[in-house]
Amino acid sequence: MVASSGSASARRSAGRLNAPRPALVETGPGGTPRVVNREQVTLVREEWRVVDRWWTEEPVDRLYFEVVLESGRNVCVYRDREQSCWFTQNA
Amino acid sequence: MIACLLIPGFELRAALRTRPRLALVPAALAPEAGEEPLLGPVTAAAEQAGIKPGMRLGEALATCPSLVLVGRDPAAVEREWEEALRRLEDAGFAVDPVEQGAVVFETRGVERLYGGVQPALERALAAIGSSWDPRIGAAGRRFTALAAASVARSGRILIVAEKDEQAFLEPLPLSLLPMTADRYSELEGLGLRRLGELAQLPGDAVAERLGVEGRKAWRLSHGGRKVKVRGRRPASELAEALVFPEAVANELTLRRALGSLLERLLARPERAGRPFRKLALVARLVDGGSWQRTATLRDATAEPARLRAALGPKLSELSAPIVELRLEAVELAEHTGQQLALVEPAGEEAAGRLREGLRQVRVSTGTGSVCTVVEVAPWSRVPEARALVVPRDD
Repeated sequence: MVASSGSASARRSAGRLNAPRPALVETGPGGTPRVVNREQVTLVREEWRVVDRWWTEEPVDRLYFEVVLESGRNVCVYRDREQSCWFTQNA
Repeated sequence: MIACLLIPGFELRAALRTRPRLALVPAALAPEAGEEPLLGPVTAAAEQAGIKPGMRLGEALATCPSLVLVGRDPAAVEREWEEALRRLEDAGFAVDPVEQGAVVFETRGVERLYGGVQPALERALAAIGSSWDPRIGAAGRRFTALAAASVARSGRILIVAEKDEQAFLEPLPLSLLPMTADRYSELEGLGLRRLGELAQLPGDAVAERLGVEGRKAWRLSHGGRKVKVRGRRPASELAEALVFPEAVANELTLRRALGSLLERLLARPERAGRPFRKLALVARLVDGGSWQRTATLRDATAEPARLRAALGPKLSELSAPIVELRLEAVELAEHTGQQLALVEPAGEEAAGRLREGLRQVRVSTGTGSVCTVVEVAPWSRVPEARALVVPRDD
């Protein structure tokens, strides 16, 4: 695997793989995604919730949606219920 | 502390070394042949006449009809730059050149030698010489040092204390950030002019709007990451030259000259049997200008036929007859040869190619750029906790 960085910015420390990225999501009436990153959602394929690390100071409470966009792309987005914001991630 | 030594308009200054009289009149570095007709660096007299670097040639000549165009001289620029770097290395600085005219180095190793940061930086200025108009910026981070050097006055040293870095960067223009012209205009369209204005925006919003480049610019507007400066390995002089009694343009003659230079370079004892990784072909043109091409070999080699095949086609790119041809070994491979096996173990060839490929990526992008994925908690319900990307330098 090759990181996209020049010598000056080359990373020396370990990084997380598949870190969540902020997403722009508009939701429909039931709270399901309607538009993801300015692209219309055509189908919500699956929905699940992940609650973990509730015993730590950084609890995880996420509502995941696997959606199909207008372009035919499959995207996984989740709503972070702790921070009340949306992210994309390959689940 | 990280220091950045800057020589503005280095290409022009180097080209004017043999014609110092032109430094006092309105002069500018001519546009590169085949490129957009935009001026390079300009002299102080040209600036006074309203000429700016990057101006269109037609507009510049209309503004100042007496403007003198100085032909590009890449060989002289490279030679002068290498000499400047060596003078710094002789003074004890482990230099990391950013580009021609800008070099970064750490002062930590020589502070005790010279009695502090300020005396060490004064020594660096003296090593370069006042005729180049060098200036130095120093700070805890590389980008801040670069920014400080770009605002420091000629022959001066500007040291930014770590606690003042953010306040120092805030009023500086966005043009200090390494971005494409499109990105600058996008930021200007959003009403951003200063680093401080960009730094105040939320990082995630900048990344979402401007992508990876925007994220990097935002990080730099906060001073950037704290990274160590790694000094380059000083190159050894390994070159052969051939001076022609009269100007030569015939490709057959040039190819024969190249063959002769290759033989002489391969016979040099300093090579110690090591194959070439990168070579430079330099020519002095009949009109006094110079021409240069470099060739990086996929596999380091010392086979004359392969070297001729890699360098020969470059001779057809010569723009004028030449009076001197020079072949320089820019980089030699570390190994002296490869032990071949009679029967290769299964998968050994593919593994060897992969190793070589990764080595080449590492050389071109720097250490830490080749990573490996390590599973740490594959069972985790939180996707980003399952694996880490770890730099791999073996």
